Amino acid sequence: MSTRHPFDTELALYAGGDLRGWDWVKTAAHVRGCEACRVSVAAFHLDQQRLLDSADDMPAGLNWDRLASEMAANVRVGLAAGECIGPVAGRESQKAIWNWKPAGAFAGLAMVFAAAWWLNMPTSDTAALSRAFGFVQEDRGPVVEASSAGIEFRENGSVLGVSTSAAQPVVTSVSFGGSASARYVDDDTGQVTIATVYVQ
Amino acid sequence: MKSFLKLAALSMLVHVASAQTLSHKIDLPKDSPVALLSADFSNSSATARGGAYVVDVYASLSLRNTTQRRIRGITLAVYAQDVAPGKGSVSVPSLDVAPGATFSVRIENHLVRPLSSGASNPGVEVKLDGILFDDLTFYGPDTLESQRLMTKWEMEARRDRDYFKSLLKTAGTEGLRQEMLAGLSRQSDRKGPGVQMVRGRATNQDAEREVQFAFISMPDSPLEASEGTARVSVSEARAPRFSVRNRSNRAVEHLEIGWIVKDQQGREFYAASMPADLKLAPKQSGDVRQEASLRFQQPIAIQSVTGFVASVEYVGGEQWIPSRSTLATQRLRNLVPASPEEQRLLQIYSKKGLDALIEELKKF
Repeated sequence: MSTRHPFDTELALYAGGDLRGWDWVKTAAHVRGCEACRVSVAAFHLDQQRLLDSADDMPAGLNWDRLASEMAANVRVGLAAGECIGPVAGRESQKAIWNWKPAGAFAGLAMVFAAAWWLNMPTSDTAALSRAFGFVQEDRGPVVEASSAGIEFRENGSVLGVSTSAAQPVVTSVSFGGSASARYVDDDTGQVTIATVYVQ
Repeated sequence: MKSFLKLAALSMLVHVASAQTLSHKIDLPKDSPVALLSADFSNSSATARGGAYVVDVYASLSLRNTTQRRIRGITLAVYAQDVAPGKGSVSVPSLDVAPGATFSVRIENHLVRPLSSGASNPGVEVKLDGILFDDLTFYGPDTLESQRLMTKWEMEARRDRDYFKSLLKTAGTEGLRQEMLAGLSRQSDRKGPGVQMVRGRATNQDAEREVQFAFISMPDSPLEASEGTARVSVSEARAPRFSVRNRSNRAVEHLEIGWIVKDQQGREFYAASMPADLKLAPKQSGDVRQEASLRFQQPIAIQSVTGFVASVEYVGGEQWIPSRSTLATQRLRNLVPASPEEQRLLQIYSKKGLDALIEELKKF
């Protein structure tokens, strides 16, 4: 058995089957004869297994619509930014025409716009506007929707919704008759208000 | 840095300058049982953002009961045809407004419409759709079927108050306290996934299968539902149909079925209601079908669907609702949302305590 304990990084690579050649032989020989390192390797194995298991679970309360619209928006921003600042093969001949100043000014403007948007616009508006401009794949017909955030009726990019930042609905529901309802209870008086949106 | 700040300030100014005052109209009939004392729309706004109108309606109406009867519920219809399609409503059930007394109704709506659709002067119109009195008589145009809903809420309110009063008599304050605590616990546990309803079939192109759904036995229900089926695919159930038999001696004209969905992890939740206008003479049978799709916002592998008779309306307007003892079965108690009145009483208990709740029950 080698007298020096392998580093944690070597043990982690060994546990994952990623150690190669002489390093693998050396570490394997040490682990066979060292109880402490065997425990470390087993712990790394367990961590890997937990990681694999947890990768199959989706986070609780994941909002797929919002995630989809945010991903679409991020991809667009990424592509736009890549167009602005990324080196592109075949543009070498244009270097003489383009210099960094206009690109920098454009990027600055984009940042100001993004910052103003981020500061001013609620997430629900961003989602609604994404639908209005067709960034998000929309259903063909009218849709009523109820979630813990509130209720909405959507058609052709237009939205009629009820959601308050002050309170979450205690109950939301949809009806096959073409409506969605949300119940709110006033904290102080207990008065119940039921908001409903209808397909026309 | 200076130029960056200037640009940011300019962007904010553009945002503020594009905001408009929201025009509004409140339409109460001349013989309306309520008079408008004040309407505060001051926090509402209509803003052009990019290529869309975003309209936020925050309104508070103060109304007075001008009749000699007590008001139990009100429904106001909210229209914004220039801004958004569809229509909205705001209902306040479980009221007890004495003759001459005032009460308030809050309206909070959020509307978005692309500018290209032609809206230029956004406005909101509020109309009275219906008022229910303590003798269950109704006033209003009832364009949103408010009478049926408000009558059902009022019947549920009477049932639940009677139940709590009887519990107080038989089990004392401790029994009532335990029931309130259990109700609050169920209310916090009863969170289901987001649901969409789409006319026809939604965009889901997954393979679907036909699933038969069972009905919870309710011996005191005037209707017996059976032979239910629905087309089910991943996260979507559509085109439900079932047979129903009127086992009562009275003619029925409307029914509502509650839908409980179970996923493959064994979790159950109340998913939707399915109303249907169906005239059934005593002992007559009929079929109900809907060409709509129920779709969950999260991927859910639907294992089964269960239905139960949630309400029945006889010809003439009288309604049947499940009794507290029927709803007390473990499955329904945990899944079916509490009535608006039970939620109001739970809030009074939670905020003001048991004594305030008992005082409230004594008012009726």
